[in-house]
Amino acid sequence: MTKSKNKLIPYLFLIIPLVLYLIWVIGPMLYTFYLSLTKWDGLSDPVYIGLRNYEKLFRDPVFFTSLKNNLKWIASFITIPVVLGLGLAMVLNRSIPGAKFFKASFYSPLVLSLVVCGLIWSWMYHPANGLINSVLRDIGLDTWTQGWLSDEKLVMWAIIVVAIWRQAGYVMVLYLAGLQGVNPQLVDAAKVDGCNGFGSFRHVILPLLTPVTVIVVVISIIDSLRAFDLVSVMTRGGPYNSSSVLANFMYIEAFNNYKMGYSAAISVILFLISAVFIFFYLWNIMQDEMEY
Amino acid sequence: MTNRNFFNSPWRTLGFFLLILITLLWLLPFFTALLTSVRTNDDILQQGFIAVPHELTLSNFSTAWERGGLSRYLPNSFIITVPALLGTLLLSSLSSYALARFQFKGNRFFFFLYVGGTMLPFQVLMLPVFRLTDALGLYDTHLGIILFHTAFQLGFCTFLLRNYMRTVPSEILESARMDGCSEFRIWWQIMMPLTLPALAALATLEFTWIFNDYLWSIVLLRTDALKPVTAGLATLQGQWIMDWTVIVAGALLATVPTVLLFIFLQRYFIEGLTLGSTK
Amino acid sequence: MQKTLFGLVALLALLSMVLGACATPTPQIIEKTVEVEKIVEVEKTVEVEKTVEVEVPVEKEVVIYNSYNSDPEPRKADEELVKMFEESYPNVSVQHSIVAHEDFKQAIRAYLTASTPPDVMTWFAGNRARFFIDKGLIMDISDVWADEGWNESYPKGFQAMSSVDGKQYFLPTNWYWWAVYYRKDIFAELNLSEPETWEEFLVVCETLKENGYAPLTIGTKYRWTAAAWFDYLNMRVNGPEFHINLMLGKEKYDDPRVLKVFTDYWQPLIENDYFIDDPAAYSWQEAVQFMINGEAGMYLMGDFIRDSYPDENEDEELGFFRFPIIDPSVPIGEDAPTDGFFISVNSQHPDRAKELLAYLGSVEAQQYMVDKLGRLPTNMDVDTSSFTPIQQQGMELIQGADFVAQFYDRDSTPEMADEGMNGFMEFWAKPNSIGAILERLEMTRQEIYEAE
Repeated sequence: MTKSKNKLIPYLFLIIPLVLYLIWVIGPMLYTFYLSLTKWDGLSDPVYIGLRNYEKLFRDPVFFTSLKNNLKWIASFITIPVVLGLGLAMVLNRSIPGAKFFKASFYSPLVLSLVVCGLIWSWMYHPANGLINSVLRDIGLDTWTQGWLSDEKLVMWAIIVVAIWRQAGYVMVLYLAGLQGVNPQLVDAAKVDGCNGFGSFRHVILPLLTPVTVIVVVISIIDSLRAFDLVSVMTRGGPYNSSSVLANFMYIEAFNNYKMGYSAAISVILFLISAVFIFFYLWNIMQDEMEY
Repeated sequence: MTNRNFFNSPWRTLGFFLLILITLLWLLPFFTALLTSVRTNDDILQQGFIAVPHELTLSNFSTAWERGGLSRYLPNSFIITVPALLGTLLLSSLSSYALARFQFKGNRFFFFLYVGGTMLPFQVLMLPVFRLTDALGLYDTHLGIILFHTAFQLGFCTFLLRNYMRTVPSEILESARMDGCSEFRIWWQIMMPLTLPALAALATLEFTWIFNDYLWSIVLLRTDALKPVTAGLATLQGQWIMDWTVIVAGALLATVPTVLLFIFLQRYFIEGLTLGSTK
Repeated sequence: MQKTLFGLVALLALLSMVLGACATPTPQIIEKTVEVEKIVEVEKTVEVEKTVEVEVPVEKEVVIYNSYNSDPEPRKADEELVKMFEESYPNVSVQHSIVAHEDFKQAIRAYLTASTPPDVMTWFAGNRARFFIDKGLIMDISDVWADEGWNESYPKGFQAMSSVDGKQYFLPTNWYWWAVYYRKDIFAELNLSEPETWEEFLVVCETLKENGYAPLTIGTKYRWTAAAWFDYLNMRVNGPEFHINLMLGKEKYDDPRVLKVFTDYWQPLIENDYFIDDPAAYSWQEAVQFMINGEAGMYLMGDFIRDSYPDENEDEELGFFRFPIIDPSVPIGEDAPTDGFFISVNSQHPDRAKELLAYLGSVEAQQYMVDKLGRLPTNMDVDTSSFTPIQQQGMELIQGADFVAQFYDRDSTPEMADEGMNGFMEFWAKPNSIGAILERLEMTRQEIYEAE
């Protein structure tokens, strides 16, 4: 970190992006905070009602279903794609024949928009004509066929699988980038010291990748909390809210039920949950960066 | 290790074929989509999905192209995406540089602001942003939606770029400073080239996001003539009619620009172009 | 930290001032439209000069029209109508945008509150239109109704649907009916005739089931198909008056009469496996396939089902009958959702908008929609002699009704409808928890209606 002689310089770098950001994002965001204390149908003027939206929220079973689903999403997201992505990165970072093809293949779902992913997978899950049930029937596992998106116990996991499918390649790329920074000499040195393959991975490479892992986890959490499109395309939160996540819950309250104030309250809660993670993250990097 | 003796070890060969198997499984949804897009709706619904198609057709693509008005909407998508993409990358690299490389009052606060802003589910901002755009006289203009996308993506880009820029060793920058370079020159001539891999990765991601945006285009635009390609695709989905084959074909068509960009930029981040100076 | 905060607040204050200053010059956009017009105009005059020697170029006026007719057939008809209008009114040019149906419902609130709203918009009759009218966002178009003589040429029911306090705000233009659609050939094969009573209906279901057919198909992925079952069962069991009062929040959801609908009529259908498996996995249209493939016998559906039935088989295979009568002493209610148009109160081109609206409600335009799409007209002056037997039958179905409802999600408030439809889905999966579901719906009802 530089302590510049001219104290204005960092602000000069910041000013244009920051102004734009304040106008278009932070402004509406603060306005949303205010709206969460009002009753507003989006057409007439908001009416201030204090904390009533929040009181109602904590009695709303859909809120808790959605919250639980978001937590499931987070739990899956910070484990499965991370492990998968790291594993793939480790494997593909060596000189394997066709490594380029493999990398591109795993990254490719990311090129599709979430909406398109949702559409394609709705097709895969289609109970009568979908690929999954068709294959199960053809190999004689009829009893395994499911209404993947209509069973209240399965539906959330069915959607999370899609999200993982898309996320793993993303994590892989982040780790591949991180591995570029790992000095091969260090790994060799570990080998000389008698570390086997896994040992050198655990004691040398993994610690070196910690900064990447932190970013990956933060991104995974952001993505889990903002999850919206897949649910919206595949089930719209159904059947009867069993696959609802907070962002969808908020969206339906706002744009189907005309309750902007209530939906703003949901967003604020969502933001506060995120804020916990951000603070933890910032505290974490502060500890690290003290060493500078 | 050369490719020739790679298959000498039976374990490695086994692992390799396992990898191929997993990769094919991974690509299965793509094959599904491709296959769907060249079949007819009746064929799928009557034969079931796993069947030898009675007829293959490219007509879904032409139907999607015409009915979705893609030729009309596609230019708009680029008019919106390209400036927003360049704007957000440029501006976020400015702010990231400040946040990554300078100690100043409010550094952490501003960083929190950027990261925090990305945490809010953006759907909730729809009406406030609409009101703002309307008040600024930018409703139903390309400028409005470009500015919004630029601003909105700043948070995430700044988050990633700041972290990336911190990994650049300070000696390089210090030596430039010793030579009397101005901070703006250091940013532009030293930091930016070093950040290229991250910028390329971000560009692909951001392009996918902005190009595929639909929500904001219906909120901030009213006139058909200004709307991006996603709006055209959405009209393929009627009130009652859901023509899967055409929808999937349309979706694949709309993915083409992203794929091209990906192919063009991937060498910067997938092959891991190392810039040499860091080691 | 405090200093930073102070700086931020100051910055925000500054920004809000800037924003305030920017808020005034809105005419920018109007200038834009004028530019567009001029381009169009130049092209036109060139054409005109070829045919007619002397023609003074007229400044074209613009009217903005946004519609939700995004299905292929209605879309074509919609675009054609606009063309026909422009031919009849050569000095007006229509800036027409078609938005995907679902998204239009969300976008409309942006449209209605924008400083430059679309002038004419498609919308749903009944409660959904009333919502915006009550907020003062819709233009009074009583003058158009009077000038066009619609007070005479539109049935009283449609007039009442469009009026608030004796003033007209809405123009209903087309509607369709709901009925039980069935496979005529399967019925013939099994010697079944169209059931008129509930007992007959249950016999039909049982016979179909015994012969290996799924009696009823339904796709409830988007929920509203299940709401049709509720509408009809409730109207047949408790009568349309009770039904509409329930929709308006004047009756309770935990009323034993509502419970009876579920436990005595709906639940047996589900528990006897009269419906296809896994309905929640299908959209309504995917569920039609079971009928097309000859696996299912009947489908309670709106007339638009015919649009997605293969044309070549439609005449021999597809028929429909009135939802069976459960209690003959109860008046007959039917669902007949009606769509139409209104004008934004902030319309920048009110006169042109009214011209367009007058055209859309005219005999010429309605006749076109009837011929082209087979939807039923609202204007009684439309010539019905060319109606197909199906259309005749549909007309008779509705004319034979004592009361016409819109549809569950149109008669109720959006929020109540959302909760209600979720309740129906949950009931479908867990029929025995209906008591708890209705209690929850009642809580929602109280919250919505008693807060006001």
